[in-house]
Amino acid sequence: MLAMAAVMLSVATILITWSVMGGFLKTLIESGKTLVGDVAIVWPNVGFAHYDDLIERLEADEMIDSATPTIETFGLIKLPDDRVELISIKGIDAASYSAVTGFADTMWWKPITEPTSKDHAGADLRLDPENKAFFAEIEENGKSMSRFNTKTGLYEPAGVLGIEVTGLNARQVWGGYIPQSPLRALPDGGTEWIDTFMPRDGTVGLTILALDSQGHPIDPVTRTIPIANEFQSGLYEVDQGTIFVPLHVIQKMLRLHEAQRIERVKDTDNPFAVEVDPVTGELGPKMKEIIGIDPARVTTVFVRGIDGVELAEIHQRVRDIYEEFAQAHEGEVPESYLMQNQIKTWEEMNKTMISAVKKETGLVLFIFGIVSFTTVFLVLAIFWSMATEKTKDIGVLRALGASTPGIAWLWIRYGASIGIVGSVTGTAMGYWVVMNINEIHDWMGEQFGLVIWDPRQYYFVEIPSAVEPDKALIVFVIGILTCVVGAAIPAIHSARMDPVKALRFE
Amino acid sequence: MGTQMQEDGQGSTVASQPILSVRAVQKTYKLGRVKVPVLHGVDLNVQQGEWVTILGASGSGKSTLLHLLGGLDRPDKNSKSPASVKYQDRELTRLSKRALDRYRADDVGFVFQFYHLLPELSVLQNVTIGGMIKYGRLGYRTHRKEIVDRASSLLDRFGLSHRLKHRPAELSGGERQRVAIARALINEPSLLLADEPTGNLDVKTGASILDAIIEHRRDAGLTLVMVTHDERIAEKSDRVIRLVDGRVTDA
Ligand SMILES: Nc1ncnc2c1ncn2[C@@H]1O[C@H](COP(=O)(O)OP(=O)(O)O)[C@@H](O)[C@H]1O
Ligand SMILES: [Mg+2]
Repeated sequence: MLAMAAVMLSVATILITWSVMGGFLKTLIESGKTLVGDVAIVWPNVGFAHYDDLIERLEADEMIDSATPTIETFGLIKLPDDRVELISIKGIDAASYSAVTGFADTMWWKPITEPTSKDHAGADLRLDPENKAFFAEIEENGKSMSRFNTKTGLYEPAGVLGIEVTGLNARQVWGGYIPQSPLRALPDGGTEWIDTFMPRDGTVGLTILALDSQGHPIDPVTRTIPIANEFQSGLYEVDQGTIFVPLHVIQKMLRLHEAQRIERVKDTDNPFAVEVDPVTGELGPKMKEIIGIDPARVTTVFVRGIDGVELAEIHQRVRDIYEEFAQAHEGEVPESYLMQNQIKTWEEMNKTMISAVKKETGLVLFIFGIVSFTTVFLVLAIFWSMATEKTKDIGVLRALGASTPGIAWLWIRYGASIGIVGSVTGTAMGYWVVMNINEIHDWMGEQFGLVIWDPRQYYFVEIPSAVEPDKALIVFVIGILTCVVGAAIPAIHSARMDPVKALRFE
Repeated sequence: MGTQMQEDGQGSTVASQPILSVRAVQKTYKLGRVKVPVLHGVDLNVQQGEWVTILGASGSGKSTLLHLLGGLDRPDKNSKSPASVKYQDRELTRLSKRALDRYRADDVGFVFQFYHLLPELSVLQNVTIGGMIKYGRLGYRTHRKEIVDRASSLLDRFGLSHRLKHRPAELSGGERQRVAIARALINEPSLLLADEPTGNLDVKTGASILDAIIEHRRDAGLTLVMVTHDERIAEKSDRVIRLVDGRVTDA
């Protein structure tokens, strides 16, 4: 009984820990995939041209679902309370970016009808039917990356900000957000309420350093960007340090947009050349000459493969397509051999995160190893003491003619049956606990005020509650093996015992 | 040695065929480095169907001898005068472990002073387990009915038919010993080895236990080797031998 309880608890504990840990790691890795699609083609800083053609070629392939042009850069953001912070800026084309990634679904401010799983009191503002129209408009704004300006009567391009960037959204115990109106310090020593709800009337200032086509920095550019909505990707690092801006806005700021290539005319052959200034219409000395068109550029193209195709296959296909593309635009885009290492899968892009996660998994498995090892010893100790207790009975059985292997087999069978019963109940218990872990956790919170998992501190709202059958099977089998191994040593010991000594044993 | 054989031949109720013959058996226990010699060369013949009682002081090696006869232990190896324990035509000292196990299961029944029943099993199971060991797990299935019937009838004869489902702990000492005897007899052995079977019981109970054994012996033609302290019991037996200084002396 004791041994069975020990096996059951060990099996359950290992299964629960493994499932929950594994669940977190999986959620984390999947969140990391949310905003990057499957494969990315990256040529940082100066970007590469003719991306429209590349995307056309990619989307023509049967293995590729969609592709989207993006600019990834860094800049400074000025927040409503005048803080200035470093921010990762992504210039995207909202529609195609949503097709490649889960962008549209990450929009936080939108009307919802069902409360989120932990919001038992229904405190979520988004639930309120009165706010429905308002949030529906904001959601639309976010998806189209624009906001209506009441002064001008026009829709302006707008950004989508990570939900944690401003610090104006307070994360609640139930996992949602309540917008705050904090105080802002004024230069004269006074303070002022910031009565701003970002998606309604909030704006940020973005400052970025443009580079010319040779990669040299030009003057910093600053623009005020209205905020259309805020997103939550599930990765805290992303949500507190990223802003999405319409691609054409960022292209212009970075001077990666389509532009006339101009050359200053200085000591040319003809110092008396003249031209008509297109703005004033006046004739003047020729200062510059249009020598061509600089096509628009992006730093990244994200690609999404069709469902069910191996990541590695998509990866290779994208490389092949780029090679054709590079041949078609020889001299105008980065050469294919230079690009091979710049075409990355989402796993490679999230390498640091994933390798950290893998290390953690390794650590967890190592700890499991020790736990299992301890269980083997536990079972061994329990069986040993049982065998000792039964010494005399073993002597009797031997006197009745029982053979050494027969007695060993008896113990091993006993161990196996304890292992099976313990593993079955343990696996069942583990399954049940993991399936209901959030309810159990809530219940503990209500009964004892014990909240281990506070969404205000942890970024996951819910404790992962899925058991992978593979893991359950492994734990189950190891549970049984543990018992058999734990029983084998006492079994051999007791079977080998001298029957005469066993009979005399007191 | 020769004289002893002649004497055996003169025994009145005894058939002439020796079922057990023991020659030059020595047994030394080792307690760490100290050697404790117990048997110094035991010679003994037991005839088929004979009842031999072994008397001897406590610690004289009676149990040791019984264990050797039952194949639970082996005598010391001695190249000058090799020990021999012969059961019918089988030389036990040369049998393999498995063959010794078989010998114990098929041919020998053991009864101990302290009953040695298995506490988790019921009375009936304590008896049938002998059959289970003899036939093995699979064989037991086919012989199950036969074994259970035999166990029930043995227990019935010993007045325990109303106790079949009880645990040993719920029985008196005399009842427990009767269960132990039924267990020893379940496989119809031809040799019963009893080590002070009444030693732990009061005189009256002891007598009834003895009667049970004697009755069964008569019916089944069982050979009985019994260790006891009780001179009155010894008187009833065919022959009494004494163990003195690790050797057999006839009483
Ligand atoms: N395993 C053993 N190790 C050492 N000495 C033993 C062992 N078994 C029995 N003895 C000793 O052998 C002697 C004979 O024991 P035993 O055969 O039980 O005597 P009896 O049954 O006549 O009382 C005793 O002195 C006992 O202490
Ligand atoms: Mg004794």
